Amino acid sequence: MKATTLRALIVVALIALWEILPRTGLIPELFLPSLSSTLAAGWNEAGEYGSALGVTLYEVGISMVFACGGGILSGALVGSLARPRLLIMPMVSSLYAVPLVILYPVFTVWLGIGSESKIAFASIYGFLPTMLATAAGIRTIDPQLLLAARSMGATLTQRLVRVVLPAAIPTVLSGLRVGGALVIVGVVVSEMLISTAGIGYLISRYRTILDSPHVFAGVLLVLAMAVAFNAIIRWIERRCAIWQTGTRGGQRAADEMAAGATQPAT
Amino acid sequence: MQPLANVTPLKPAPRAGAVQINGISQVFKTSGADVAALSEVSLDIKPGRFVVLVGPSGCGKSTLLMMLAGLLRQTSGTILINGAPIDKPDPDRVGVVFQEASLFPWLTAEENVEFPLALRSIAKPERRAKAEDALKLVGLEGFGKRHPHELSGGMKQRVSIARGLVQDPPVLLMDEPFAALDEQTRMTMGDELLRIWAATGKTVVFVTHSLTEAVYLADEVVVMSARPGRIVDHLQVPLPRPRTYEMLSGDAFGSLRDRIWRHIRKSA
Repeated sequence: MKATTLRALIVVALIALWEILPRTGLIPELFLPSLSSTLAAGWNEAGEYGSALGVTLYEVGISMVFACGGGILSGALVGSLARPRLLIMPMVSSLYAVPLVILYPVFTVWLGIGSESKIAFASIYGFLPTMLATAAGIRTIDPQLLLAARSMGATLTQRLVRVVLPAAIPTVLSGLRVGGALVIVGVVVSEMLISTAGIGYLISRYRTILDSPHVFAGVLLVLAMAVAFNAIIRWIERRCAIWQTGTRGGQRAADEMAAGATQPAT
Repeated sequence: MQPLANVTPLKPAPRAGAVQINGISQVFKTSGADVAALSEVSLDIKPGRFVVLVGPSGCGKSTLLMMLAGLLRQTSGTILINGAPIDKPDPDRVGVVFQEASLFPWLTAEENVEFPLALRSIAKPERRAKAEDALKLVGLEGFGKRHPHELSGGMKQRVSIARGLVQDPPVLLMDEPFAALDEQTRMTMGDELLRIWAATGKTVVFVTHSLTEAVYLADEVVVMSARPGRIVDHLQVPLPRPRTYEMLSGDAFGSLRDRIWRHIRKSA
């Protein structure tokens, strides 16, 4: 059986179990409401979930701009200049190990319990990995490529735009993948802690009144958001970084050249 | 200032360039002591010649090549190419081919060859036409749309050569271009390079570690000593062209290679 079909089967099986186990009573509905009752709960309160999703998406969107934009910019700076790298990198690396969620109460004091504190928290939460990945990506660029560009008369700006930027894209994207996922986590978690709106808030409110179907409807929405984000990154990756895939093509091309028999196969 | 440099030439610029290296020295400043990499190197290369630099590791042959490319500034001495000094990269006069892996992996073969033209904002149709010609010259017609990872090592190096030649510079510098290739590919690429050289008539300065490759390719072999790099021998290769595989086992070939090897053994 092919891996893709097997994967699809696993997903189908999980979904089926989600419906069957609570219905047969093997798992109490309080712990795990069946898929159908979860969907029904979400559907009945569609308006409430819709406006909560709007708030959460808004917060995620703005945080994404700060975390990823800021992370890429400062990562590029730190990666290409030796002095800031020496000054900042050790700090950033150790900061990365701190559970930043402890800062969230401080942000609510500074910025209130509205969207601002969520955006601030999620931005910083996603910023660090994006910055670290970008800095690493810039630093690992093959110096031969820059030398070759210089030999062809490339100016500093041309080297940045035409060599450094495209060469860093794959690493930056992997940073975005981690950073973006953390932004979603940051927004939802901060909504669950102290908030008046958003999916995280709904999940936490329904949890306090033990309304499991509504809790799981919120969980499903967050899940869908994460999956969608991942799909978007994958799509960008496929578009920007085709050249990263596979190294076996070379021999095939050489064989083709030989088959053409116009040139020696080298 | 060279008084002649600004005079418009009466005949079109020659496609092969003269290289004059006058008393080049290079000292690298390190924290401890200054390290002399090159000492008083002088060399005169006539247009259209195929000159190979050999020498033990650290003799400064690659350093010298980087200076010819305008990528490194010498401590003292002058380098003239077609009568004008080289003090920064000048793709109009000098094309450079590096060791493997200097192709941009995110560009296709065609776009890689076009890269130096794109830097100077040359219009797309002209760029494409020139790149196609260059790829045809190196025997890669029809492979322009491939990315480097879809090409073999030898083919990548062909693309590099096409990129070095696309602006039709009078001088082509090659820094161990075949060092990363396997033996068979290396032999074939040597023959291919000689064919391209014969077709274009460029002046070629070629750095290598392989003595066989040096004698097989060169009109002249310049032997350098270990640090500080100096020229210890400059020998002509009297073998007729085209070079053939049979020459490798001939007496003339063997004695030339022995002579170079003795110099290198002495200084290493």
